[in-house]
Amino acid sequence: MREAATPYALLGPALAATALLVLFPAAQTVWTSFHQLILFRPKSQPFVGLDNYVWALGDPVFWQSLTRSLLWVVASVGLQFTLGFITALLLHRRFAWRGIARALVVVPWALPSVIIGLIWTWMLDFNLGLINTLGVRLGLLDAPVAFMSQPGTALAAVILAVVWQGFPFFAVTLLAGLQGIPAELYEAASIDGAGPLSRFVHVTLPGLAGVIATALLLRMIWVANSLDLILVMTGGGPGTATQTLPLHAFLTAWSGGDFGHGSALAVLLSLLLLGVVVAYVARSKPA
Amino acid sequence: MIARRRLLTATAALATVPLSRPHAQRKTTLRWWYHFDDPKASPADLVRDFEAANPDIKIEAENIPWGGGADYDTRLYTSLIAGNGPDAAMVKLQNLPRLLEMEALAPLDNWLDAWSGRADISDDFWRLHRAADGKRYYLPLQYVVLYLYVRQDWLAKAGLPMPQDFAGFLAAGKAMTGADRWGFGLRGGAGGHDFWGSFVLGGGAEMKKGGLNSEAGRAANRWFIDLHRTQHITPPSAPTDGFAQVINNMKAGRTAMTIHHVGSANDMQAALGDAITAVPVPRGPQGKGWTSFGDGSSAVFAASKNKEAAFKWISWLSTGENNAAFNKLSGQLPVTSSALKTWTVQPKRFIDASAASMPLANVLPSLPQTGDFTRTVWPQTTQKALLGEITPDAMMETFEKLFFA
Repeated sequence: MREAATPYALLGPALAATALLVLFPAAQTVWTSFHQLILFRPKSQPFVGLDNYVWALGDPVFWQSLTRSLLWVVASVGLQFTLGFITALLLHRRFAWRGIARALVVVPWALPSVIIGLIWTWMLDFNLGLINTLGVRLGLLDAPVAFMSQPGTALAAVILAVVWQGFPFFAVTLLAGLQGIPAELYEAASIDGAGPLSRFVHVTLPGLAGVIATALLLRMIWVANSLDLILVMTGGGPGTATQTLPLHAFLTAWSGGDFGHGSALAVLLSLLLLGVVVAYVARSKPA
Repeated sequence: MIARRRLLTATAALATVPLSRPHAQRKTTLRWWYHFDDPKASPADLVRDFEAANPDIKIEAENIPWGGGADYDTRLYTSLIAGNGPDAAMVKLQNLPRLLEMEALAPLDNWLDAWSGRADISDDFWRLHRAADGKRYYLPLQYVVLYLYVRQDWLAKAGLPMPQDFAGFLAAGKAMTGADRWGFGLRGGAGGHDFWGSFVLGGGAEMKKGGLNSEAGRAANRWFIDLHRTQHITPPSAPTDGFAQVINNMKAGRTAMTIHHVGSANDMQAALGDAITAVPVPRGPQGKGWTSFGDGSSAVFAASKNKEAAFKWISWLSTGENNAAFNKLSGQLPVTSSALKTWTVQPKRFIDASAASMPLANVLPSLPQTGDFTRTVWPQTTQKALLGEITPDAMMETFEKLFFA
């Protein structure tokens, strides 16, 4: 009996904290999404049913933001994963100063998003930015580029910044996974005549599959939710060119003071992300 | 056992003693919210002096992040709704309609009528600070008037006079645009509505039903957008340039003119010396002019249990030398005539430009939509027009719909 209760006792505090800090605010957000709640009209909060959802789904900005969110997640996570995997493979090899290299790689991950946003904003600045100055002096650019002021380059700029921030997560996680693959498997594969590519495909990738799936899922959810970097670098602009769904919800609720509409947008985003989590859990269930 | 119970009872009784002291002996604690552009500036000396003169009041000064105004405003609204708001705070005129709709403000009329410092503040301020219901909820604290910074050395080299109207401004902008510099540092990012106001509201648009989407309003807006799209006197980064970019570009010699106020005058002087000066923003073709009056005021909140003490503190901040000391920290101008007479914090030519701009000074209308306009709708819509994604006329239709539909 005592043994059966132990897991619940150990999980209890974490579950209580989750209920208090996550489930209760989430339930309140759902409740708010069925009401008209304008911040500066606190005395009038009528129940409006699904009106906020109808508004959200009928607003072209919602669909533009959703499309941009998909692009943002796929490009950011894809590039972070690729760069992180390459870094992990390099750091797994033996070379001088490897310890220092492993420590330095973690630096972007350790920096706050606001600092990263400011660093990249000023590095990419049209008039005074390092990248434009170097690009022109080295002859790589004919003239400075207003990276943050053109819709295409602005989105690419924030993706570049988030890739720089996030690739260490994949590098460190995959490096840990690589270190967990028994060396005997590589030796056996070599004896059987497998070359480097074959060893990578048939030993490394299967050995990392679980780690890769978990890391991708986590990072997808984090990137899909994140808005801090975009907020600092572009505020969603120029126009709405870098406005993703969470930023749309944030600007509607926080800047616009419209918590009813903002909550509906947040609930829709949560439902979309919940779909990703359910798909992952279903896939990872033992057969 | 009985002795232990008695001891506990006696201890409990003793613990209640401080609570039962006469109310008059306790200090009134006031929570006051403020913001300075310079994060290093602290009002600690002001608080110390006030508390020394008013030993029964303790000030808890809380520095609230500004975040372009949006952070400060939303934190203020949410704290008031949650019943955890400050007793008094720095506020802006554009908040007034929303705070009134929330019934969050305490009217100050009775206290103001009895306040001796009232006469030291010009009637212009009281006019601008009166609410739509005729009452006064705000006490003026600081102000700035936006003016036009001009590189007078480059202008002299081009042989042109200081721009006084739109035609002169455009001629100066074109003449000072060169290979790696631009005639005008336009702010298309957050806060740029002040620039737009000078050229569009000063050029023929009016903040009334049909006044933004009128032919004169649309023409003024086309002219404004064309500064970037067809005249090319602004940097390519203008659609998203914010405060830091326009100021740094001016200081670095990348732009020849921009719009700001005395808050940046000392920085400009340090970077450019006598090469830079300031004049009122140019007037439109009809001779009309418009520049933004940047107010900073104090308010006492209706939910405060210490309104009288709160008024004592905010009125102390708007009195003579206290107001001067406060504005040395804020980098803006004092509202008291006595402090302004001897004001030497910024070079005189910038103070003079501020004074000369007062006849053009205006504020956006006190409507609940104004906050959303300045924070979100203006930058998003204007950036699209500056990039050619929508027409300037569509931009004005959006604004008309927001305010007057």
